[in-house]
Amino acid sequence: MKFKNYNFNFIGKRKIWFIISLGIIAAGIVGFIIQGGFNLGIDFLGGSLMEVEFERDVDVAEVRSVMNDIGFGNAILQQTESNRFIIRTTPIDIETKNEILDSLNEKIGITGLPLQDRTVAPGFGKQIARNALLAIGISIAGILIYIWIRFEIRFGATAILALVHDVLVTLGVYAILQREINTATIAAILTIIGYSLNDTIVVFDRIRENTPKAGKLGYSKVVNDSVNITLTRSINTTLTTLFPVILLLILGTAALKDFALALTIGIITGTYSSIFFASPVLVAWNNKFPRYKK
Amino acid sequence: MRNKKVHITIIAIFIAIISVSLYYILTEPIKLGLDLKGGTQIILKPTERGGEVTSEKLKIAMDTIRKRIDRLGMSEPLVTKDLLSNNIVVQLPGEKDPERAKEIVGKTAQLEFRLVTGTFISIKDQNWDIVKFDYEKGQLIIDPDAEEVILIDDINALLNSKPINIIARLVEDPDTGELLLVEPDEESNLEENSEDGDAEESSGADTGINIDPEKVIGKIIYNSETRELLLVSGENEEEVGEILVDSRTGAATLVGHVLITGDELAKAIAGYDNYGKIRVALSFKGEAVDKFSEITTNNIGRNLAIVLDEEIESAPYIRVPITDGSAEITGIESTEEAKNIEIVLQFGKLPVSLKIEESITVGPTLGMDSLTMGLYAGIIGFILIIAFMFFYYRGLGIFSALGLIIYIIIFWGILAGIDAALTLPGIAGIILTIGMAVDANVIIFERIKEEIIKSKSPRIAIGDGFKNAIRTIVDSNVTTLITAAALYRFGTGPIQGFAVTLSLGVVISMVISLLFTRSIIFLMAGIPRMAAPGFLGVRRRSSE
Repeated sequence: MKFKNYNFNFIGKRKIWFIISLGIIAAGIVGFIIQGGFNLGIDFLGGSLMEVEFERDVDVAEVRSVMNDIGFGNAILQQTESNRFIIRTTPIDIETKNEILDSLNEKIGITGLPLQDRTVAPGFGKQIARNALLAIGISIAGILIYIWIRFEIRFGATAILALVHDVLVTLGVYAILQREINTATIAAILTIIGYSLNDTIVVFDRIRENTPKAGKLGYSKVVNDSVNITLTRSINTTLTTLFPVILLLILGTAALKDFALALTIGIITGTYSSIFFASPVLVAWNNKFPRYKK
Repeated sequence: MRNKKVHITIIAIFIAIISVSLYYILTEPIKLGLDLKGGTQIILKPTERGGEVTSEKLKIAMDTIRKRIDRLGMSEPLVTKDLLSNNIVVQLPGEKDPERAKEIVGKTAQLEFRLVTGTFISIKDQNWDIVKFDYEKGQLIIDPDAEEVILIDDINALLNSKPINIIARLVEDPDTGELLLVEPDEESNLEENSEDGDAEESSGADTGINIDPEKVIGKIIYNSETRELLLVSGENEEEVGEILVDSRTGAATLVGHVLITGDELAKAIAGYDNYGKIRVALSFKGEAVDKFSEITTNNIGRNLAIVLDEEIESAPYIRVPITDGSAEITGIESTEEAKNIEIVLQFGKLPVSLKIEESITVGPTLGMDSLTMGLYAGIIGFILIIAFMFFYYRGLGIFSALGLIIYIIIFWGILAGIDAALTLPGIAGIILTIGMAVDANVIIFERIKEEIIKSKSPRIAIGDGFKNAIRTIVDSNVTTLITAAALYRFGTGPIQGFAVTLSLGVVISMVISLLFTRSIIFLMAGIPRMAAPGFLGVRRRSSE
């Protein structure tokens, strides 16, 4: 067998990769603690949100001062365009909402009804969170069973570990950047789960195919060769998937950007984990069994 | 050659599928979700207030909501039940004002006619104040410094400085801490009370110390299950009254049993009365006409509360018996509000109480921006992918381009054909699957290259490459499908849309690469120029 294209020593240096992975996850946890948790959106906390378009360009200070004047100094303001703002408050009734809109109209001037207007009752988020966790649980169980049938239980467990790795990295970035976590983020994270596995399985498939040769070459070598030969595919697929997603990150509206950010992080870490995390873990684990040991 | 025939048949089938897809794309415009074309979505959750929530009740509630919306003349409304919970999802495309929709959709519209017993007021420093009522906690909000709380018969009379009667005093039982309603002492007359402050002080002095059991009318209890603050009496704690809020004054008001309900209404019409005041005219049907006549005959001089959704809308004074079965709700602030009341009463009450859990309104501008930007990202992404595939896999790039174009046509065709609405997460799903669709090509091409490097002839290399790739492609896509299935089953609205596009994308791209791309590459491999290693993206030196 000749593997001319690439021959990197992924498996031999596995301790380095483990340290890098743990370091990134630890950074996320530190970020989570320092920032005081995630920036949860109204989907989870309940509250009201309005996106208002002004007649002219405004800056945060100007909108903030109007909000201060009417006693909404603690409203969260997010600029989406030079003349558009998302204003997030605790749940408010129609009178209060009209009061805010009237004040903004009087002091700055708005173009009409809000571009978007959302109110979520407190507690509703619990249901969403419960469903999301349920979805994650069910899909993990399903995937584990599938990989168990098609591969071996250790392949399945390792794939799940890689998936947890990817989700932790993504959540860590969200904690550090304090980007808002909403329903779209949850959907994106669930997609990352699917994508991460997709990537891991392509590599595992090659390992499974080459395992019979382990007696001659040694298991570590077989895994390392398998990672190398699927490397072109891993990189190319990541690139082609990232092209449109990154474009969405650049061009998209606020909601699409949120979604695209989680996907971008997830796709990159998904590829990284299948090469630098899942395969080395598999070797480390399987080395404990005589059949693979050599 | 048998093989060749199979490949040609497969391609012919694909051409047929593409034609059908194109037909749907051209004839059926793709439906846009609320988040793209603008509109309002309201999620309503049945509350325990209306008793047990059965599927039968939900069905009636949804029907009633549909009728109300139709009456408002909103276009293409959609009322559905959430897959996972008992929540009702109401979608109103194009509706820009969430408040109008909320008024109509969420109202239970439970109409009741009940006699007013009295209104609670608190006395402090010779002044009186109304007693408010906290629905959520089921508590009367009483000023802690108040000297005493009394129940008077007519709040309007008090407001107009006319004589009133004290019906009872509210006292806390020193032993049990229960709130009791006690008949007033003989001497504490209203003239004395309202004009002479000393009388209050004397009556206030003995408050709560001696309670004559004979004079206790009843005690006030909170039923946390139905969330009602009730007046009960006797050993069996029989319900004799309920405390409600008067929407005009905000005062806690004690009313008697339900005498007639909105179920017995024949008509509700918004309009003006003879004095030009806004009103909703009500008329009863059948037996209720006689019942109403009897009630008004027997209770001349009392106020009849018209209660809508646990709030007293108005409480007209009964001057003369009403025998024609007509009544009216007054004290309405705007014609819009009157119209809303008319609509909700006309189609009857909802069999369950509903609470608004979430309301989303998206203006058309924002939705269009998302759609345009999504489209741009998709088109530019598509061009970049194709350019990359040509650059890396040379001639094989043609098959990627072809496969991707067919993928988009079939995808679009199915979306149009099954009448699915395209949503914001749906766009994200499509854009993601465009990238993933190419993955199958990459896996196949890499395998073919490997086989060519092993110095196999292009025809055999293609065959073996495909054979090796199939298992990988199926395994990796099945896991994505499992995730998509979980997302669909447990996701809420927009996430489900995403799950549909994701699984659709995975299945279509898998079918295209495993059948179409395979057949077309096999057929092309028969052409000598096409089978050259350079065309397949393999550099000569790596094959040596």
